[in-house]
Amino acid sequence: MAPLKSMEKDHPLIDTHFQSFFEDFLLYDLHALIASADNHSSSNTFKQGIDQLLSVIDAKLPSLRNGLQLLQDAECNKLLLPTGFQGIDALLGGGLRAGQLTELVGPSSSGKTQACLTSASTVAKNGGSVIYFDTGNSFSPQRIADLVGQTSGYVVGNQAELGPLQRVMERILCYSVFDIYQLFDMLQQLKINLKSKIVESDHRIQLLIIDSISSLITPILGGSGPQGHALMISAGYLLKKLADDHNIAVLVTNHMVAGEGGTSKPALGESWKSVPHIRLLLSREYGSNVCNISTLKHPSVASGRAAKCTMYL
Amino acid sequence: MEKGGVKAWIDGDETAHDMLRRISAVRSTLLVPPLHRVPLRLGNVVEIVGPSPSAKTLILIQVAISFVLPREWNGVPYGGFDHSVLFLDLDCRFDISRFSQMLTHRIMEGNAIGDCDKTLYDLCMRRFLYARCSNSFEFLQTLKSLHYRLKREKDHGVGVHLLLIDSIGAFHWVDRASVFLSPKETNRKKLFLQSVSEAVVQDIKKLLQEHPMLVIATKSVIFGNTYSTTSNEVNRCSRNVTRNPQQIQYREYMPSVWQSLLIFLIYGAPSILAVLCYT
Repeated sequence: MAPLKSMEKDHPLIDTHFQSFFEDFLLYDLHALIASADNHSSSNTFKQGIDQLLSVIDAKLPSLRNGLQLLQDAECNKLLLPTGFQGIDALLGGGLRAGQLTELVGPSSSGKTQACLTSASTVAKNGGSVIYFDTGNSFSPQRIADLVGQTSGYVVGNQAELGPLQRVMERILCYSVFDIYQLFDMLQQLKINLKSKIVESDHRIQLLIIDSISSLITPILGGSGPQGHALMISAGYLLKKLADDHNIAVLVTNHMVAGEGGTSKPALGESWKSVPHIRLLLSREYGSNVCNISTLKHPSVASGRAAKCTMYL
Repeated sequence: MEKGGVKAWIDGDETAHDMLRRISAVRSTLLVPPLHRVPLRLGNVVEIVGPSPSAKTLILIQVAISFVLPREWNGVPYGGFDHSVLFLDLDCRFDISRFSQMLTHRIMEGNAIGDCDKTLYDLCMRRFLYARCSNSFEFLQTLKSLHYRLKREKDHGVGVHLLLIDSIGAFHWVDRASVFLSPKETNRKKLFLQSVSEAVVQDIKKLLQEHPMLVIATKSVIFGNTYSTTSNEVNRCSRNVTRNPQQIQYREYMPSVWQSLLIFLIYGAPSILAVLCYT
């Protein structure tokens, strides 16, 4: 909603007089505003200005959608992206869903980064672009090449065969992000690029990975003010809006902290719990290759459902 | 006593499942727990509070389904209220496929043949209206323009008699951190959060006057549940709900102006359900 000043050009009724009288238009009750406009000398122009403002608001907001339209949009645009990580695909019924924010929680060395790298390589191999925000220098191109080579037989050593592998690797864009403000900058830039369709290619961005988002947010949480939590929630909304508007699946990882009674709980607190659509808990026995995954939160699956898968390292 | 008589008496007349199906078709009440415990009518505002995840959105979906279904269709009684429903998604997390699954299941359950009537399904899906907001400004804009939109819906067909708000406290942190950006500081005595909440409450009240409807809002607990048997830290905003020996505390974070609008407050935790009434 633009400030009233900027609307003066297009709508001459909203002049400086109107602006000074009707600051914070949204915060006041319409009838009280109209009543107060009555008492003023130029009441007619004020009333017309109010009507015009209301029509601008009405035009700007998207119209109410009904269930059938939502379902059609979901079926056409919000497709499932297989990750190649069997445990996740088994639990999620096929893979990550475009338009949803999925969170992987787990203690250190439980397979979260491996899951991210596997998803990136699978999506890139299937033709989509991936954006990978790496906060801890854990992105490994060699590992991606191994994963791509394992399942599709691209031989890495052979110079002549470098073509297909190189094309797959080119679809994964990796950026190093070390604080939350940098993340906001990059997400805003991505939003602008996608909206203006600068990156118009055959390979649409299908997956956005942030490994790990908790290392960006934990430093700003804490302290007595609400700014840290506000930034965290705003980041969540920005990611969900990107996911929904441009049909991207977002995958973030989170670490664990000590909870009450000696157990561990996911980091980022209670407010973060209502941000992701789906939350999965990973764990791995020490010295074993088997990764256990269970659902913490899912719209259709009861929490606690678990799957096991073996990681090939 | 004959053998047949005793066996027949033990077997009973119908199973619980059959009885539930029979009653829900005949008596159209909101048989969705926990709402079946409170007497609700149009114009009431109910809040459902609980930690995440505690199936709050699922309750909203079930209530929405019992509102959009007709009373009976092709001779099959469904026991619905035959109204439209508006879902304001402030969390931006709604999954339409879950709604569709539950609606299909409910239609198939009521039908003797066990299949899903496509026309009925389409009718119900069309009665479910959806809007999403990603900040307080969008929420206020939507509320202000809702009056005209609802009027248009009423002219087209069935009116909207249920308003569901998913997560009324979704913008709490962002609003708390916002400040007024204006040179005229002298007029801005109140906090931004306070002003926004008052505006929301006013708009909802005005809306309820023009379009009487039932408002159900969910709210997640954001300060964490502290299970304590000793209440040594009593916050003046805290509500205590006693259930057997455990004492569950949750801290209220919505401003008092929202509290004044509420009629009922339902607290749901994974194992405990309690209803608080406001008069």
